[in-house]
Amino acid sequence: MMHSDTLLTRAKEGDQNAQGKLVQLWYKRIYNFSYKFFLDHDMAMEVSQKTFISMCRNLAGLQDNARFKSWLYKIAVNYCREEARKKKGNRSLSFDSVWNREAEESPAWEGSSQRLDNPERQLQQAELADVLQQALGELSDEQREVVIMKEYEGLKFREIADVLNLSENTVKSRMYYGLDGLRKILERKNIGKDTLGYEL
Amino acid sequence: MSYKPTEHDLMAYLYGELEGDERAALEQYLLEHADARLELEKLQGLRRTLAQVKDKEVIAPPIFVGDRQQHYFWHTPYFKTIVSIAASLLIVMLVGKLAGLNIRYQQNELKISFNGGAPETVPVAPATAPPTIASAPTLTQQQVQDMINTSVQQNNAALQASLSATEQKLNASIRQSLALNSGQVDNLVKQASSASQQQVRDFVASLQTENAKLVKSYFQLSANEQKQYVEGLLVDFAKYLQQQRNDDLQIVKTQINSLQQNTDLFKQETEQILTSIITTVGTGKNTSKQNLN
Repeated sequence: MMHSDTLLTRAKEGDQNAQGKLVQLWYKRIYNFSYKFFLDHDMAMEVSQKTFISMCRNLAGLQDNARFKSWLYKIAVNYCREEARKKKGNRSLSFDSVWNREAEESPAWEGSSQRLDNPERQLQQAELADVLQQALGELSDEQREVVIMKEYEGLKFREIADVLNLSENTVKSRMYYGLDGLRKILERKNIGKDTLGYEL
Repeated sequence: MSYKPTEHDLMAYLYGELEGDERAALEQYLLEHADARLELEKLQGLRRTLAQVKDKEVIAPPIFVGDRQQHYFWHTPYFKTIVSIAASLLIVMLVGKLAGLNIRYQQNELKISFNGGAPETVPVAPATAPPTIASAPTLTQQQVQDMINTSVQQNNAALQASLSATEQKLNASIRQSLALNSGQVDNLVKQASSASQQQVRDFVASLQTENAKLVKSYFQLSANEQKQYVEGLLVDFAKYLQQQRNDDLQIVKTQINSLQQNTDLFKQETEQILTSIITTVGTGKNTSKQNLN
């Protein structure tokens, strides 16, 4: 639990400080969820902003405080799907995909918190992370959102089922096939035992 | 046993959400089936790989929630103005009702009254004829002055009578209360003095008893201590005398031993001297004999 019940109750009563605090507490999680979904900083920022604006406006309608996490991810998932639909209809090329500003200004290993470690290993890890993110991007939207919520956001299967309005078994199936798909993609990209030091 | 874990079971186990009998059954199955074990290990390896993707650090920008409050008709300024006027009128009417205000307008006359009293006639517009002043019998200034003086004297007399009566009552009351209070105070003082004498006696008696006890215990303690001290002193003195005697005996013994040793030595020396003298004398006789020969 990243927040207290008191904070949530105050936010529900319209306390803007409490709402601001909730945004501060959950922004990183929602941003990273959206970023892994889109692999795009601007899209992730867009979805995060919309999610938290929606959260502030509709928080009073949340009945059960214990379901806040599922409720918040549900809003984020809905905005992700909406943006994904727009993106598919738009067919435009994101400026970030042409000019990777982050890569140009700040190499991944330089921005790492473990800067003093072996730079070669840092660079390898950064490249591996890029490959993994791309592999995630190759999954279907349904599988990707389940894999991200389970693997990176740490939601329980019951919570994911609540977010997606699905049964737990369906979520587990999507997770299983998502992991299977990822394994095949990584094998195709030659990310295996030699690369990682252990077998996939 | 025909148990075979489904993909759901495998996922739940992989993420630690399988519990109880199902978990035990799956673990047993994994022990018995190497291929399933290998499959699970691959999934765990994949999870370790996925863990290489770290969270991106991001600073939450300020979220501005626009004012999307619904505009109801009671938020409009016209409505507020009308409601405020109506409220004011209501307050005026309420005050009028409570004050019993009665306003009438009849035959060019406005009548205003409060508390249901007789309506006061206020001529609004003397339209037709001017009011005529009735000729009344008038009083002279002297008569008015006399009336005032008489009234004032009567008032003064009444006040004086009232004041003297009040003063008498007050004096009587003060005397009564003083008598009561002095009696009570005397009683209290008596009680306090008798109580204090008794208390003093008790206190002195208790002090004396306590002192006697203290002195007795002190003397007892002191006598005991003195006895112990004298006993200790005598014992120490006896020990000292004994020690002194022993020491003297030791010295005398040593002196006697020394004297004995000296005597023995002297005896030995004397014997040696005598022996040497005898020897010398003997040798001298032989030598002289030989010389004579």
